[in-house]
Amino acid sequence: MAPAALFLAVFVAWPLVKLLLDSLYQIAPLAGTKRYVGFGNYRNALSSPEFVGSAERTAIYTGIVVSLELTLGLATALLFNTLGRRSRVLRTVFLYPLMIAPIVAGLLWRFLLIDNFGIVNELLTRVGILHTPAAISWLSDPNIVLFSVGLPDIWLTTSFMSLVLFAGLQNIPGELLEAARIDGANARQRFTWIVLPLLRPVIAVAVIVRGIDAARAFDVILIQTNGGPQQKSETLSLLIYQTMIRYGDPGLASAMSVMYLLAMLVTAAVALATIWRPGRSQA
Amino acid sequence: MTALVFDRRRATRTLLWLLLGAVVVLYAFPFVYLVLTSFKLPTDVISVPPMFLPKTWTLANFHAALSAPGVPAALLHSLEAASISTVLSLLLAVPAAYGVTRYGTVPGQVFIMGALVARMVPPVAIGVPLVGIMNSVGLNDSSLGLAIAHTTISLPLSIWLMASYLDAVPVELDEAARVDGASRIGALWRVVMPVAAGGIAVTAIFAFLASWNEFLFALLLTSIHAQTMPVVIANFQTQYGLQWGTMTALATIYSVPVVLLSLFLQRRIVAGLTLGAVKG
Repeated sequence: MAPAALFLAVFVAWPLVKLLLDSLYQIAPLAGTKRYVGFGNYRNALSSPEFVGSAERTAIYTGIVVSLELTLGLATALLFNTLGRRSRVLRTVFLYPLMIAPIVAGLLWRFLLIDNFGIVNELLTRVGILHTPAAISWLSDPNIVLFSVGLPDIWLTTSFMSLVLFAGLQNIPGELLEAARIDGANARQRFTWIVLPLLRPVIAVAVIVRGIDAARAFDVILIQTNGGPQQKSETLSLLIYQTMIRYGDPGLASAMSVMYLLAMLVTAAVALATIWRPGRSQA
Repeated sequence: MTALVFDRRRATRTLLWLLLGAVVVLYAFPFVYLVLTSFKLPTDVISVPPMFLPKTWTLANFHAALSAPGVPAALLHSLEAASISTVLSLLLAVPAAYGVTRYGTVPGQVFIMGALVARMVPPVAIGVPLVGIMNSVGLNDSSLGLAIAHTTISLPLSIWLMASYLDAVPVELDEAARVDGASRIGALWRVVMPVAAGGIAVTAIFAFLASWNEFLFALLLTSIHAQTMPVVIANFQTQYGLQWGTMTALATIYSVPVVLLSLFLQRRIVAGLTLGAVKG
């Protein structure tokens, strides 16, 4: 345990301590000066519309991505479960996006979603949903961009949700469902009263793991829109990165990171406590 | 009556199969389209309306991609960083997980929780302090430095996975080895590790992929000597405008090996993915 603990201490805990310290200073990297400003950076961040806006967008983005993944993941997991053993080949195909680099996925979807020669709009037009391929500008329409940039993320990790939930479904004892069937419960009742409660801890873990990842989304968005148009897809990771690199203000960026990390820890803890409810649902 | 019920059930099942088939086709489509596009003529890549199959199959994009400056080197760097990071991750995670499972005490639990919290840290938060640290120890822009940074991502997950696998190895095994005169390390190395070899393989794959696919640390920590493919792919669009043909070829080169890997090792990977969540 000791070497690993030491490693994490040096390369995770120590940078975090540095981050905490940096957040209390105003730093000019080029001039090399450092001035203690107390909580000044925090006040600046909280009063800046960019920070508040991107915090909101991060929450919305995470909400959209995770809820769609959960819905699609659960639906496919149920399909796999119902169809049983013979669906294994299809499960394999379903797995592959997990291996693809987010940067590649972002690039790929940007290509698929391009206005004039993107295949998505072309297909939608052929099916008759759009009347011209130029009708939707996925990545340049400020109103929908936050959803569009999430598509690669959903594509990449719905399979994770699906596989985790599928494994959870397989763990539900068949006798339980059989007994309910004999007692006259229909499929929907069995799902609501047996499957869902038993699946709850698995759903909790999956949602939390994915929520954490989605809230940290960086490369997928960077490569598709770089936060645009009009910063409408700029999430916290991107804002912090820009603040640090482009605007050269590590102090402010550190303060933002600290608040971001705290918010994530609190959200994860609350989510764990409310969805998981270990005492009640672990059968 | 029974025949009718039976027919209805069969119909539902067929419908479900069709539905699942449609979902899978839809799911596979983006990547298939990417690979097909990389074989099109550069001018056909951006044709309006887009074509699904290449009109003329060509390797032009691959040729352009592989002869672009920095690309072969970046492939090598990616492989280097990912390999070092995998070894490092395993060297640290296996003994740590062993410790946690064999002396299942309070510090062990605290340690596992700590590892979980470490997984929540946004890379952007520790990225910049890490640059400073790497600079001060002279590991900036080196594969080793990048591998260390990547290990901060993969180590918590590796410990978590390994702990689950080692938990499944009966303690009696190492006790027997100890009775026969092996040291603790000897028991771990000669008896426990071979039994848990499958788990170690899965953990290695995850550690490798975490590094192979990582972008932000690579962007911050490397410039010339250790720049990896994800950064090169991302830079491509700014340096050369949008050359979709070359970019799809690069993306294909970088993804096809790991996608094939996932198809071959499918069962093990699924086991690894679901283990933590379902047990938790």
